[in-house]
Amino acid sequence: MTLNKTMTLLLAGAAVTLSASVATAQTNLRVFVSSQHRPDVWRKAFDMYEAKNANVKVTIETGGNTSEQQAQYLNTVMTAKDSSLDIMILDVIRPAQYAAAGWTVPFNETLGSDAASYMKRYLPAYAEANTVDGKVVALPAFADAMFLYYRKDLLEKHSIQPPQTWDELAAAAKKVTDAEKDPNLQGLSFQGKAIEGAVCTFLLPYWSMGKQLVSDGKLSFDKDAAVKSLKLWKDFVDQGVAKKNIAEVATDDTRKEFQAGNVLFAVNWSYAWGQFQGAESAVKDKVGVVKLPAVQGGQPASCLGGWEWGVSAYSNNKTEAQKFVQYLSSPEISEFMAINAALLPQFPEVYTDADVTKAVPWFANAKPVVETAKARPVTPRYNEVSEIIRTTVNGVLAGQSTPEEGATQMEGRLRRVLR
Amino acid sequence: MATASETTLVTMHNESGTKWWTRFLDPSERTLAVLLLMPAALLLTLIIVYPVGRLIWTSFQNLSLTSGVPATFAGFENYSLMLDDPVFWETTWNTVLITLITVPGALLVGLALALMANLPFNVKWPVRLSLLIPWALPLSFAGLIFAWFFHSEYGVVNDVLRRIGIEGVIWFNSANWAFAAICLTIIWKTSSFMALIILAGLQTIPRSLYEAADVDGAGRLRQFFEITLPLLKPAIVVALIFRTITALQTFDIPFTMTRGGPGTSTATLAMYIHQNTVDFLDLGYGSALAMVMFVLSMGVTAVYLRMIRTKG
Repeated sequence: MTLNKTMTLLLAGAAVTLSASVATAQTNLRVFVSSQHRPDVWRKAFDMYEAKNANVKVTIETGGNTSEQQAQYLNTVMTAKDSSLDIMILDVIRPAQYAAAGWTVPFNETLGSDAASYMKRYLPAYAEANTVDGKVVALPAFADAMFLYYRKDLLEKHSIQPPQTWDELAAAAKKVTDAEKDPNLQGLSFQGKAIEGAVCTFLLPYWSMGKQLVSDGKLSFDKDAAVKSLKLWKDFVDQGVAKKNIAEVATDDTRKEFQAGNVLFAVNWSYAWGQFQGAESAVKDKVGVVKLPAVQGGQPASCLGGWEWGVSAYSNNKTEAQKFVQYLSSPEISEFMAINAALLPQFPEVYTDADVTKAVPWFANAKPVVETAKARPVTPRYNEVSEIIRTTVNGVLAGQSTPEEGATQMEGRLRRVLR
Repeated sequence: MATASETTLVTMHNESGTKWWTRFLDPSERTLAVLLLMPAALLLTLIIVYPVGRLIWTSFQNLSLTSGVPATFAGFENYSLMLDDPVFWETTWNTVLITLITVPGALLVGLALALMANLPFNVKWPVRLSLLIPWALPLSFAGLIFAWFFHSEYGVVNDVLRRIGIEGVIWFNSANWAFAAICLTIIWKTSSFMALIILAGLQTIPRSLYEAADVDGAGRLRQFFEITLPLLKPAIVVALIFRTITALQTFDIPFTMTRGGPGTSTATLAMYIHQNTVDFLDLGYGSALAMVMFVLSMGVTAVYLRMIRTKG
């Protein structure tokens, strides 16, 4: 049996080597994949492409475990005009920046005259995020948005409905934590560390009050709403709904603590679902997911996430790379990644696909959330905007400044960047 | 005094017959001199003069790599932007504060360590080795290790405090505690360097001075203040110069311990320069910030050099 297997493998190996040497032009594509988005499953999607295109060999590169760390690495590669990377996955906030810096090649030549109709297949937010001045600068890899995860078992036990507003959430959290008397159980976990996630933390209640940060490329900062947003989160800490060191909590800490059964409500992206249902999870089959609460009298709002495939302007294999990206950004791969990695589809019809709803039943409810999720401000100086917001959120949560001081500081600094 | 010694130097050469510098006017000698100086001059130009010149030039430009727009001359715009940038002032103040706390702190601890290491032990190497270890450890490692020490839930500091009945604090959740943790780490890390230089100084002090003091009936304390400290001054000044300049450039330890948080309350000027150039790719503004640090470091060096000259 084993011997047979070995022989088959050897033969297959020989065949591959032969066919590779026969093929006239072997293209090596090097792809940067974010480590938090299941590079192991992407690898399978890459293998399927290699099987169909014998002359293409794809290698994966991963690194960093947060969006900023990955951006920092890619910034270095791009400023060095390094040709070693052909394709890179970009957080939804970056295609516009990368295009402005001239680091990615537009797809328009490959797509031809029907670029617009090609982009219409995607959810509108992603068609928009990847099109800059009529140029298609990247293609969507998958969609994402922030959701409210909750412990279904605990809410049912205390007969509480999933909260519609943040006030309801605070009340529910208090009721359950008081009754459970478990010192390890936190009411709510969200992102308070000075990371990209903290930008969304700030924007969720701000948007829920119907305010925008940037309108028509100009800063439209509403200070009252900003104070209220910062105060909302700070109150959660002061009231004991969130833990005291929330200023140290990053996205994946929220995921880990919820997964260990120590959190009642958690604000997180869709990727967490797959992990909560995994074999190592203490909360398997005890997790519910709904849209995020609204502020009293406001509309629920979610932060638009998602990642995009861009082709490096310094790649030596641009044509092959773009062909490969078109394959990666197809409905088939979208469905494959939804089923195998619980990544949200960038195509509206995939959400209701029978195989997808069977594998991830809550995706049907996720569609309206993704469709109404709001995009963070699009500007070439986004890195600075993000840094200002996240350090302010972090400072306020740590008690370093009051919500009022934080909002004033934020406004002053944002005005300098978005002049 | 310095001028006096220079005068002596010149007169000395004058007295030796022909003027000393005339030999450089001799064509063959001059060519040789130029040839001999060339490699060093070229190397220095390449690794110091050119980058510094480029930095100064960039600081007067609008150059952001994310804008996709080529660089334009900006005059003093980057410098005037700095004036009303609260983060620039905050990080500069943090840097000065770190310098003011950790330099004297490391000097005191380093002096104590050096005096201890200079005691007549039978086996000297374990003491010397333990002095060397913090110095030999890379800064970022020290930062990462101490970040764990001060971790609110899993750290050894809070654990020890709890055992002796004190409720620990969430170190990195408060600007003051985070700042204190960083300063303690820097002092731990840098006092061994101070100790090494001071120890070398201590060993140049002849024993006979102490023996004479003993005979005269001077106590230990008196000996320390009348003999040890005055004779150690040159070593201490040298140690201070090096330490102050590295303190002004503090980056690794706060970067690895807090990333400048909470908020920007523990960020240093060097971290802000790094953020503007590496994260934001705003090379113009980053260069202008770097110029401020350059001037600060030069200023401190000039003060110390003057101190040495007047003392020496």
